[in-house]
Amino acid sequence: MNIAVTIFLVIGAFFTFVGALGVLRMPDVFGRLQASTCIATLGTINIVIAGVLYAASSDMSAGVIVKLVLFGLLVILTNPVSNHALCKAAYHMGIRPEKGFEPDDYAADFGAADDAENEVKEEA
Amino acid sequence: MNKNRFTDWLSTFILCFLFWLLLVFSLQPREILLGLIVSAIVAWVSCRFLIHESAFYLYNPVRFVLLLFYAVCIFLVELIKANVAMARIVLSPGLDGYKPGVIRIPAAKNIRSLYGLDMVANSITLTPGTITMEVAEDTQGDNYFYVQWASVEETDREKAGDIIKGRMENWIGRIWR
Repeated sequence: MNIAVTIFLVIGAFFTFVGALGVLRMPDVFGRLQASTCIATLGTINIVIAGVLYAASSDMSAGVIVKLVLFGLLVILTNPVSNHALCKAAYHMGIRPEKGFEPDDYAADFGAADDAENEVKEEA
Repeated sequence: MNKNRFTDWLSTFILCFLFWLLLVFSLQPREILLGLIVSAIVAWVSCRFLIHESAFYLYNPVRFVLLLFYAVCIFLVELIKANVAMARIVLSPGLDGYKPGVIRIPAAKNIRSLYGLDMVANSITLTPGTITMEVAEDTQGDNYFYVQWASVEETDREKAGDIIKGRMENWIGRIWR
């Protein structure tokens, strides 16, 4: 059982590491948001599984296990909402990747990008 | 409070109370009493934000089992695939394959409810490499997702939709309308 706990911890730590490295290495806001999703998904899930296995093997009460599962569930449920809001806010602020978006259907259909840029310039 | 509002409140109240019981995980009378009071207040405040259609839609056991199956089997596989792809981009020396783009993909025709669209959008956002920026409806009543994609492999919208959504949308279509 200890070996299983260690394996899940190592996998979780690996994906958390990948996410953190992605936040450091990615060139713009959007890439950083994408990479940080790794932390919230497979990083959290694996660490929660390791915690559940450890709690089950060391005679802790069932409440601990339920709380761990709820903790993982809440992280997973709330993460996409904040990610979506951050991404859209960055887009409307006029932030773009270095080479621009390759297809940019959002600007083509809504045309909000230019307005946002003008507003920011006026405020500055 | 008309009858319709009351069922909304009741369904939110049951969810809140179950959540409270799981969180405290004890059956002492004072915990249950406190949970009843708190859930009643929370449900009264939040039911109009949570319930838009029939109140007891998810209490159908078949749908609940389908939801669990989707979360554990279908979604987890997509998640692992996307995580490995993201790890490959991040760990490559020159960030190979990082080509950001915003692409419009069509939603399935059979998913019309806000819950279904929301769940597809959130599933897309949760897989690393794709973030849903907007859900929009055109004049014909078809829904589209605007997805910010970290590594654009396909610019054709239908095929891009198949790559991004994978098997997730079919299964969500079985849970929500």
